[in-house]
Amino acid sequence: MKYYKLFLFLFTLNIVFSHNIYADKLITKLADKKLAVNFKLPDMDGKIHQLSDYKGQPVIINFWATWCPPCREELPSMNRGWAKIKSEGIAMLAINVGEDEDTIFTFTGDYPIDFTVLLDQSGDVINQWPIKGLPTTLVVDPQGRIVYRAIGGREWDADELLNLVRALK
Amino acid sequence: MLNMKIKNMTSSHLRRQVLGFIFGILAFQNIYADITKTISPETQLIEWKLIENNLELKLIQRLPDQTRSFFEARNFPKDITNDIANSCVFQTITRNNSKDTNQSIHVSLKKWLIKIGPKTQPLKLKETWEKEWKNSSLSSASKLAFRWATFPTEQSFEPNGDYNWGMISFGPKPGTTFDLYIEWKINKQTKNIWLKNLICPKNR
Repeated sequence: MKYYKLFLFLFTLNIVFSHNIYADKLITKLADKKLAVNFKLPDMDGKIHQLSDYKGQPVIINFWATWCPPCREELPSMNRGWAKIKSEGIAMLAINVGEDEDTIFTFTGDYPIDFTVLLDQSGDVINQWPIKGLPTTLVVDPQGRIVYRAIGGREWDADELLNLVRALK
Repeated sequence: MLNMKIKNMTSSHLRRQVLGFIFGILAFQNIYADITKTISPETQLIEWKLIENNLELKLIQRLPDQTRSFFEARNFPKDITNDIANSCVFQTITRNNSKDTNQSIHVSLKKWLIKIGPKTQPLKLKETWEKEWKNSSLSSASKLAFRWATFPTEQSFEPNGDYNWGMISFGPKPGTTFDLYIEWKINKQTKNIWLKNLICPKNR
């Protein structure tokens, strides 16, 4: 009986420490906190947005493309996340890489995006940011530093994740 | 408390058996390499999935016509589209499944090799393609689409669910069977494995 209890104790410890059920949903905290490169990009109506316009508030910046399957999977959760945070002084931007207004407009018929979509048609902006694949999402703090990164999609309406961004305010 | 319990055990033989069993389970979790091969009932395309030391890697066949249509839609000229389509393109998904915040995984496709019969060769990386197109009329928009639709040559994946996907061109013609040498690093410790008998699919 003693051995059975000992086994059960060690086995439970092993399970507890090797399976964090929230780990899959979180984002990576960056140690170096590099200053984000400012950009000037048009939105769908041609209005120019600069990153510096958002200084003083946390900004979630998602790089995506319509042909990228994980981007399509992730965007609805970003839209739901946006509905939660839009009145909290947090900005959310979706920077499309390499596509035109018509392509994005058609896409948003199937995948509504209520937050600001910016167009990086030449790819000049993404080339200046620390990004290797799509989708990648970066969180910029109110001081303009990149503090979190998620490579691949996440569930952006999860409060465990949004609370990390809220804590930056 | 644990030591006290162990000391109190009367049978050293039984104690060794219990501890051996427990450590066996722990060790098994760390060295277990799982490779599965599944055929999609809808497309009949094969997916190879490797789970090893927190690396999850999926390699999914793409028909040459699938690849051709993707690049044609991005205004690639026919000759280049055909070259890519016939170079054994697989959709690749890589994920860091680690729950340990220190377990960063680094993948460099420069280290990967394919073996056909006795001959080994490197992969055809995106940099090689881009070099070939240096003097072509390929638009910058098309080059941009290629760059972001293909798997990065070098990338680090942090825990907390980092993953990436993209096309990899292994190089051989449709119908070729090859072995693939995969190498990655977990916290600078190099790991590797051979995947046997991958098949470049032919159009149907």
